Amino acid sequence: MARAAVVGAGMTKFGVHDKPLQELFGEAALPALDDAGVEPSEIDAFYFGNAMSGQAENDTHLGPKLASHVGMAGVPVQRFEDACATSSNAFKNAVEAVDAGVHDVVLVGGVERCTPETGKDTAAMTRIFASASHRQYEQPTGLTFPGVFALFTKRHMHEYGTTEEQLAEVAVKNHGNGALNPNAHFGKETTVEEALDGPIVADPFRLMDCCPFSDGASAVVVVSEELADSYDAPVDVSGVGHATDVVPIGDKETPHVTQAARDAAAQAYEQADTSAAEMDFAEVHDCFTGAEILASEALGLVEDGEGGPAAEAGRTARDGDVPINPSGGLKAKGHPIGATGTAQLVELTEQLRGTAGERQIDGADSAVAHNLGGDAATTVVTVMEARR
Amino acid sequence: MSDRLTHGEWSDAVESGDLLGQTCSDCGKTQGTPKAACPHCGSRALETVELPTDGVVYTETTINVPPVGIEERGYQVAVVDLGEARVMGRLSDGEVEIGDPVELSGFTEDDDGYVAPAFEPR
Ligand SMILES: [Zn+2]
Repeated sequence: MARAAVVGAGMTKFGVHDKPLQELFGEAALPALDDAGVEPSEIDAFYFGNAMSGQAENDTHLGPKLASHVGMAGVPVQRFEDACATSSNAFKNAVEAVDAGVHDVVLVGGVERCTPETGKDTAAMTRIFASASHRQYEQPTGLTFPGVFALFTKRHMHEYGTTEEQLAEVAVKNHGNGALNPNAHFGKETTVEEALDGPIVADPFRLMDCCPFSDGASAVVVVSEELADSYDAPVDVSGVGHATDVVPIGDKETPHVTQAARDAAAQAYEQADTSAAEMDFAEVHDCFTGAEILASEALGLVEDGEGGPAAEAGRTARDGDVPINPSGGLKAKGHPIGATGTAQLVELTEQLRGTAGERQIDGADSAVAHNLGGDAATTVVTVMEARR
Repeated sequence: MSDRLTHGEWSDAVESGDLLGQTCSDCGKTQGTPKAACPHCGSRALETVELPTDGVVYTETTINVPPVGIEERGYQVAVVDLGEARVMGRLSDGEVEIGDPVELSGFTEDDDGYVAPAFEPR
């Protein structure tokens, strides 16, 4: 049985948006409300995610500011911050609230502006992103976020022989998918040669292994399972898992296995009474190409050590046996931190409704989203299924 | 427990060429950084231990796009196996790969005065 249903979804194009946060959020929230066919007065609560606007824009206590802008002043609003897993944590709490009967109809979403064009330059944003690593035991080494995932990926390469070419294949695939997504930050295909020719950011990652700094917003309307049938095209939320791992990296038992993702996935599959084998596609947190490979293994979509070969063999392409990131993923769709988690759920909703256009996965009935935050310290995994 | 390892004590040790960690008396695991309780079993029975100052590189990366506050490019960060524990540090000299032996060579300090161990090839 489902725990909740998504009955409306909206997102902005990810990219550069030179407008205030509330206006940007409105461009995702109002379409989500319209898609659900609900008025702001029918919303019982607003679960909201933003990670870094305090540091990046001197803009905090955003909940009531955004609620006022979209006609929902007065509703209870709670704001979540969990690094890049920010809005999926907001979503988890919204699902729990409708599941428990606390609320019936909830707006969930996130907004963030991270591009150098609208905010800080690359060096300053690199430091703000790195604030999600341990202040005392990681940051003083000069660690950056590409560095965090480079440390995991280098060990994975050492253990399993994963290659830089296989990493590049992930970038090529996701750029190809992003080219079919009108909301993607990057709409251009790339090649393995081009990816392997880019400047090194943190080895083994070159520029094309890294997601961009993006601006954007996303939102979904979540309703209780009992109410779902009174809306058009509900999509069931059948499992949401959430786990954390030890911080800092040095104290994790086996950093590259991303244990939090394994724990969260096990919870989500168990709640949904399903398994990785039943998933028709996955949206995973590919902030770096290596992160997608680790996620594909942690979610059980491929065997441990097979993430690289699976990408190389085309198994994770849209027409492969385990399609990953048909949206283009963070790599091509973009990564406005607080908007990323719910944007994955927007993609799941569209695909499971069969309305994803050119990038539609044929006959998609079940899908999983994986949203990771910090030095792989938080992961939220969501299983959604088409309502039949 | 008044003798529980603090960040201040850990940092002082790094500055004087020592590495301190904590061993859990209940589950036996050792961490390379201070906690109030064992991250693996929750026990507060943590004993401060001196970690070896030489070890083996567990994983590493070379950072070419630094955050604001760091002018240098191409510095190497490594997670080093030190007996039962692991610690993250900066390479002060030379380049290393996974499996290479390294030893503590000093420390680096950031704008706020937080220190990190520095290692060099052994
Ligand atoms: Zn213990």
